[in-house]
Amino acid sequence: MDQILNLLASTSGISITTLLLSTLAYSSPLILCALGGLFSERSGVINIGLEGKMLAAACATAFVGAASQNPVVGLSAGIGIAILLSLLHWILTQVYQIDHIISGMGINALALGGTSLVSKTFVELGGKDAAIFPRELYYLAAWVAAAAIWYLFRSTRPGLRIFAVGNDPDKSRQMGLKPLGIRLQSLVMTGVLTGLAGALIATNAGRFSDEMTSGRGYIALAALILGGWKPWPTLLAALAFGFFGSLQLILQGRDLGGLAVPGEFWQALPYLITLIALAGMLGRNRAPAGLGQP
Amino acid sequence: MRFLGWRQILLALAGFGLIVAALLIAGAVPAEAIQTVVERALTRPAGWRNIIKEATPLLLLGCSVFIALKVGLFNIGADGQFVIGAVCSAVVALNVPAPINIPLAILAGIVGGCLWAYPVGLIKAYRGGHEVITTIMLNNIAGFLTFYLVSGVLKDPKSQQPSTAYISDLSKLPNILENGPLRINFAIIIAILVVIATWFFLKKTTVGYEIAATGENPNVAKFSGINVNRIMIRTMTASGGVAGLAGALQVLAYEHRFYGNFSPGYGFDALGVALLAGGNPLGILASGTLFATIAESTNVLSRTGVPKGLSFILLGVLVIVFAAFRYRKEANRGSDS
Repeated sequence: MDQILNLLASTSGISITTLLLSTLAYSSPLILCALGGLFSERSGVINIGLEGKMLAAACATAFVGAASQNPVVGLSAGIGIAILLSLLHWILTQVYQIDHIISGMGINALALGGTSLVSKTFVELGGKDAAIFPRELYYLAAWVAAAAIWYLFRSTRPGLRIFAVGNDPDKSRQMGLKPLGIRLQSLVMTGVLTGLAGALIATNAGRFSDEMTSGRGYIALAALILGGWKPWPTLLAALAFGFFGSLQLILQGRDLGGLAVPGEFWQALPYLITLIALAGMLGRNRAPAGLGQP
Repeated sequence: MRFLGWRQILLALAGFGLIVAALLIAGAVPAEAIQTVVERALTRPAGWRNIIKEATPLLLLGCSVFIALKVGLFNIGADGQFVIGAVCSAVVALNVPAPINIPLAILAGIVGGCLWAYPVGLIKAYRGGHEVITTIMLNNIAGFLTFYLVSGVLKDPKSQQPSTAYISDLSKLPNILENGPLRINFAIIIAILVVIATWFFLKKTTVGYEIAATGENPNVAKFSGINVNRIMIRTMTASGGVAGLAGALQVLAYEHRFYGNFSPGYGFDALGVALLAGGNPLGILASGTLFATIAESTNVLSRTGVPKGLSFILLGVLVIVFAAFRYRKEANRGSDS
């Protein structure tokens, strides 16, 4: 790793600071999104709809932010739509008892179609710059969220309840907990965090474009799994993915001699690592035991 | 009626409202949109041919997801198996001489799809890794891998885009008739035959019964002497094979080459086709045709300025509402919550 960094610094004039900043920019949405997924899955709700929530939030933040020219309104719209989709997931999986995978896929489709519809319909608004918060605030939020979640699950009653409901909904029901209500709260938190993640993606890019999350919801899911559904390891995994992602962006189109690895390899790396981890020792017994149970 | 509660009806109404709202946002008058669809897609031979073309991969991919669903696995990875099958098939079609090229290219597609699904079954059976996660990972890896291949070693030097060369006329799967109303490709016949074969296999053979038993309850199946792990792995592999076949036919019959980002996102459509088929594989014929009709209808509408995002909303609502009627979690029926 040192060699690569030295080589970078010497051959192409990329400083470590640039790489660090770019890693932060790339990994923070992943961290926020993965932590959002953590809430949902810890409470027992499988969530492959992270991508859709993030995409919808990015779209709402960009368009409402451009229309209102007020960053507070823009961000609230982004978080609001993500919470709304989260609540839809809750209604579908908990009230209607639809399989979690089907609901997640359906929500992804709705978000994909809805955002593309909006961006094609309000073309003029899409060209305007949105009012946004400085991105550093989001970076900070990501790390604060990880610390807060770690504390929540380690030593507070609500955290323990989410944990219990996710591990064994039947037993926790007998102990007097109401899984439906606890999952509702958890999914609202998922909405808030994925909303922040989407808003950050829109902020980084300046405006919305179709499918701009480009699979990052799935990379966040990979980070969550690789991190064993625990906040700090999840953050580390997302950070590592962000590092490789930004390294790839920086190395793109540069002549590195023997170190030239195709960009597609870097892009596929998070998925590859997760797959190998699942095939190896990490597959068993780490997921919340009650995942997907009613 | 067990499934027809007021909640389900409410959801269906909400879904319908969402679709109408989407149409209105897109600036289309619903009545006019319907008229456009009827005139340009549903009542013209050219429209029918497009629907048949769209239906070919949907039938096969729906079949692929259906087979996996029977053994209790969500094959979200049909998309990845499809592109791997397609690239394998294109390589063979470009390099193998005439008499054996088409059968070999089809075989290559099937084998490619099988190989791409095999690890999913293995990880599920022996490591307990959720098949949805592994297939999502494999989908993305397949996308990047094939993109890398067609922008590198497999790229046609004459092409500006990441794409292979076009396959020769001798490698193309022929149309049934070159003129008249039957100017449709043999691929659709193959797809329909595969659906019927799947029905026979699942409903009439011992292995089909073992698959269903494993899907219903793996523990009971285990105690009745079924090798559950083996059944899961083989079914998942077969499911991948069918998806790979879809990729092969897409290359040989319609696209005649392989290019970057080959799949327009068939994964969700495939899941929808399989779910809407209900319990019987022959239902895929109906649901596949429905999805193909929706695809062609939104294609036609997009030419009149209605964004194509509408099709995702339509399909999303369709799948969610249908699932609310049919695919509720079994465990909760009769319990107190």
